[in-house]
Amino acid sequence: MADLRFTGIGKRFGGVRALDGVDGHVDEGEILGLVGPNGSGKSTLINVLSGHYAADDGSITYGEANLTDLPPHRIIETGLARTYQIPRPFSTMTALENVSVPFMFGANPLSPQTARESAMEWLAFTGLDSLANEPIDSLNLHQLKYLELARALAARPKLLFLDEVLSGLNPTEITASIEMVRRIHSSGITIVIVEHLVRVVTELASRIMVLDRGKVIADGDPTLVMQDDAVVTAYLGKRSKRAEG
Amino acid sequence: MTTTNRNTSLITLAFALVLWFMPSVRETLDFPVFFLLFGYSLFFWIAQASSWNTFTGFSGYFSFGQGAFFGAGVYSVAVLAVKRDWPLLFTFLVGGLVAAVIGLIIGVVVFRLRKLRGEIFALMTLAVAFVMASVARVSPAIDGGQGVPVNTVELPEFLGDFPTMIFRLGLIVATFAVITAQSVQRSRLGWGLFSIRDDEDVAETLGVPTFRFKITALLLTAFIAGISGAIHSLQIGYVTIEDVFSIRVPLFVILMSILGGTKHWMGPVVGAVVVVTLNDRLNRAGFQEISDLITGGLLILMIVAVKEGLYLRMRARPLRTAVGFTAGLVIGFALGALDESLITLVAYGLGIAVLAVMLPLSWFARSEPAVTDDVEEVASHG
Repeated sequence: MADLRFTGIGKRFGGVRALDGVDGHVDEGEILGLVGPNGSGKSTLINVLSGHYAADDGSITYGEANLTDLPPHRIIETGLARTYQIPRPFSTMTALENVSVPFMFGANPLSPQTARESAMEWLAFTGLDSLANEPIDSLNLHQLKYLELARALAARPKLLFLDEVLSGLNPTEITASIEMVRRIHSSGITIVIVEHLVRVVTELASRIMVLDRGKVIADGDPTLVMQDDAVVTAYLGKRSKRAEG
Repeated sequence: MTTTNRNTSLITLAFALVLWFMPSVRETLDFPVFFLLFGYSLFFWIAQASSWNTFTGFSGYFSFGQGAFFGAGVYSVAVLAVKRDWPLLFTFLVGGLVAAVIGLIIGVVVFRLRKLRGEIFALMTLAVAFVMASVARVSPAIDGGQGVPVNTVELPEFLGDFPTMIFRLGLIVATFAVITAQSVQRSRLGWGLFSIRDDEDVAETLGVPTFRFKITALLLTAFIAGISGAIHSLQIGYVTIEDVFSIRVPLFVILMSILGGTKHWMGPVVGAVVVVTLNDRLNRAGFQEISDLITGGLLILMIVAVKEGLYLRMRARPLRTAVGFTAGLVIGFALGALDESLITLVAYGLGIAVLAVMLPLSWFARSEPAVTDDVEEVASHG
């Protein structure tokens, strides 16, 4: 059983509490939607769970492994990978080289040569194979988002965090991307998806967790959660409080 | 990023083997002794620049520590071989190890702290050389401010006369430095370093053990720079703190590597060959006083014009390089360069080849926006 469990997660930036005692879990095999208004702490939570930031408080376990004090490069060995909201490709490498790097590290490192061959498969999966040997600055946003996805998959994850991987795409691209996320999920990868687009989340997620100002305000079935009063207030604000929103 | 494979290193080794016999056939070919000393100078700078690049060029951490590593090597010989009569060849190895220990200390202290990236790292490494110079100056066991005559040390006889010996020792270290750079570039270590250079946080979350890799690369750099410095103490003859810990070594390795290109092992080699050859010829031609000025000015020009480095530019434009080099040889020959020395002739070839790959492309780049301006103008008139 490889469930991700986290309790009492706290993260401060200066005086701002980005995360304030967040408890939760990700069960093996599910697609968890992580939603909330801007600045509610969604990306911070992913950054903490993937080891990009160290948590100030709380503990994280994944299956048998305690991730709390593990350095980031060891966390990926347990099977956790993530994409970045704003694509962060290795800028002096080609698309293929970007995707081949994770294959050389992690739990089952490959030689650079074998890594290139394996990387080609994920490039093809994300439809970037024709751009394999192009420099990064020739890729557009849509392609960079897919490159993020291919690179994260190259880490051979069991659990994948998708941080707004669809934002900035047009409706046709979004439909294709939803299909792609489904294919990734059906290959046996558990998925946590952060998304602003309610359509995407309700279509994909089997469970939804809502964050607001660093706290969990709802957790459960997608349709029920999205009708919850607290959630509606967090998203739309009460009429009188709208100016603060 | 371009790959390099095992064959590259075999070719490098074969090339080194041919050069090894250069001192033996020198008299038959009627080459002057100076060729060996000039060859050593090339080897020394190739070793220094390649070793610097293996850490800094690949990882992106800008290091001024080369002076410290080089100095550790020089003074290991000065202290151990001269003052304590240790066997000379053994002190070369000690020089490399002392430099590696200094690299390890810098690395463990600096890399532990996530905030010490970029400029702070560069300043820290610069400071280390100053601290070492101060320690050597006040400590009579090391230098004490008087300098140390390394030319009094007894040279092992089986290595031949001085020019032959220094040529071959330099060749060994340069070959080792270049093959190390090649091996790193094609290995997981190299790819890890490249990803650190591009985005260290992302590299770490993708599984790259960034701390360990940076330390490993810095150790390799320091060790090679140290051994190379140890051997260079023989060439210096009389070592002084002002000379050894001057900014010259760190500055020149940086210029050579950036000029040649930091993303490929061949970059520092090309950079070292071009800079050493041109600098040497300028000195010979009687421009001693201003040769650094001229070299420096040329370097700034070339670095601005050829951002990716001479090597990658030359490889992308092989025809232009070959034509430029040949034209340079012809021009040099016509001007009677060969009467002075073969090196002068080669310097003409290199100089014109560098100009050939550098100038036309920058003109081309400038003319591109001009074309779109024209189109817009036509469109607005229409």
